[in-house]
Amino acid sequence: MSDLTMYLTNGVVMGIIYALSALGVSLVVGIMNVINFAHGEIYVLAGYFSALFSVSLGIPPLVAIPLAVAGVFLFALVVEWAFIRHTYGNEMKSLIITFILSIVLQNAYLLVFGPFPKKPPNWVHGAAHVFGMFFYSNQRLVSMLTAVGIIAGFFLLLHKTWFGRVMRAVSMDREVSAMMGINPTRVNQVSFGVGCALAALAGVILTPIFPVTPTVSVGVSLTAFVVVVLGGMGSFVGCVAGGLILGIVENLGAAYIASDYKHVFGFVILITVLLVRPVGLFGQKRL
Amino acid sequence: MKNIHGLWKVMVLALALSMLFATAVYAEDTIKVGVVGPRTGGAAATGKAFEEGIELALDRINGAGGVLGKKMEVVFEDTAGDPAKAASGLEKLITRDKVVMAVGESHSSAALAEIDVANRYKVPLIIAEAWHDDVTGKGYKYVFRAGPANSGVVNENIIEFIKDYGFKKVAIVAENSDWGLGIKELAEAGLDKAGIPYMTVVTERKAQDHYTELNKIMNFEPDMLLAFVYGFGVHYLIAQANEIGLVPGKALILEGAGPPSLWPEFWQTVGDAGNLELFVSRMHSEVQLTDVAEEYHKAYVEKFGKEPSDYKSRSIFDVLLIAADAINRAGCTNSDNLVQALEKTSLTVGSGVVEFGTAKGTYAYHQWQPPMLIIQWQDRNQVVVYPREGATGELKR
Repeated sequence: MSDLTMYLTNGVVMGIIYALSALGVSLVVGIMNVINFAHGEIYVLAGYFSALFSVSLGIPPLVAIPLAVAGVFLFALVVEWAFIRHTYGNEMKSLIITFILSIVLQNAYLLVFGPFPKKPPNWVHGAAHVFGMFFYSNQRLVSMLTAVGIIAGFFLLLHKTWFGRVMRAVSMDREVSAMMGINPTRVNQVSFGVGCALAALAGVILTPIFPVTPTVSVGVSLTAFVVVVLGGMGSFVGCVAGGLILGIVENLGAAYIASDYKHVFGFVILITVLLVRPVGLFGQKRL
Repeated sequence: MKNIHGLWKVMVLALALSMLFATAVYAEDTIKVGVVGPRTGGAAATGKAFEEGIELALDRINGAGGVLGKKMEVVFEDTAGDPAKAASGLEKLITRDKVVMAVGESHSSAALAEIDVANRYKVPLIIAEAWHDDVTGKGYKYVFRAGPANSGVVNENIIEFIKDYGFKKVAIVAENSDWGLGIKELAEAGLDKAGIPYMTVVTERKAQDHYTELNKIMNFEPDMLLAFVYGFGVHYLIAQANEIGLVPGKALILEGAGPPSLWPEFWQTVGDAGNLELFVSRMHSEVQLTDVAEEYHKAYVEKFGKEPSDYKSRSIFDVLLIAADAINRAGCTNSDNLVQALEKTSLTVGSGVVEFGTAKGTYAYHQWQPPMLIIQWQDRNQVVVYPREGATGELKR
């Protein structure tokens, strides 16, 4: 029982973090119809910023984190303006552009930050004796709680604010939204920034646990895409469900079947779901 | 007008010919040796160490007159630790760059792909740091290794160390790569033979989260954890083993590869969990086995303004010295002559006196096993704890 509880706890923690990272992909797909291949590199950039600010510049983590996310948000606005905006309506073109961007960023990171992992300090230290059964890192627990808070905040932004309504309107019908006085180009730009900021938040939350390297982004992107497709393209509830399912399945599979094929279990679930329900668990075009 | 066009044509032709001639002259001034190794990917840090070692080796070799009266030139091809890239990379070095010999590599999977290419093109290849037994065990004429083999590391170092210090129960965590699975099997066989109970968990090579695997290990209650995980993955493993309360209180961790425990960000990544961690290494600042090791150390500090940390910089330095020595003794760049010269090598390098095995049938063919040390981090100081005769301190538990 103790073992199962531990595996489930770790599955939920990893799942929540997967979901947070995938929400950004889902947002950009849902609103802009752009598949951002450089999503993982954005996550890594936030991790590097966070380590740079807190370790090299000595800024306290509580200040370094928002600074890192703000930096990534601004970077995303520039990327959207310079590279993505011209590709609207041409999914293949945007896919190629973001793919090239991911390669360029990976190499830039190698050049600027070197091959070694970078890690900001832990927010908290030690481990908790969970349910009196096993020890679990306090940093992981705090990261999970923070991720839950951010996901809740994102849903509030989407459903309870003016900007959320605007984003949903553009997602439903760009032309009609434009006729109603909404500037879809501006909404796209900010949405891309918010999507990247979500990746950045996942990055700054996770970097104390899993330090960043130039190529760690590949795994981050892959996991995010699996979660998005599993949950259903453009569905945020699907993202959360997909993340949780993936986290739990990976952990139970590694524990009870084979630990050397941890990531294969996620793909098996993905293929199974797609065979039964091709649009994913909560797949729908509208938000 | 026609004359002017004709003149231009002659000038362009002359320029092209002179450039061709200049290239040919330049090419004749150097003898090219290829280096294969990861400059990108999860083990890009090894590429950095290789670059440093290459610089020092070229300074030494060319400073002493080069090879066959010409300068030695190194062409470094990135393999990213990927077998496909490794095979095509070596093929490029041989066919495009016309290297007379190749050295390097630190991934067994990549090396196992390269040895077929070297043997097919009949170009000598000296592996520096890919440990899988099959690298030399396949018995290829053109393949040598002047570096550790899994069998040597496990049987001469790890198992003897475990027996010597009386560890009672061992857990093995191995990544699912050629190196990880190969060294795991040898460790299991060694522990079986020694009658020491053990358990094994195989993990994904690029896995970051090891909580599930570590929980299984906790239930086994080992006093020694053998970590056959390379790269940054082992940093995560150490940090997480500490988080769940396994190391260093209940067990010690012995990292089977070495360099990741010496990389600059090790302490930043693992924090205090790194204290009392053990690792296998070819190098220690207080244990200089030869004069060449002393000279390498001095040259490294002078050139880079820091202490050498990743021993793979000295590994590549050593194999380049071996290559230069073989070319000079062969008196030409003919592959078969180079193989004969390599087989007769007796050269002092940083890690000892190199002499390749010539008896076919086992991994010892064309293999030279350097002496390995087991080092423990004690309050962020490296203390050699095995072999006992080279120990600089006592093992702490």
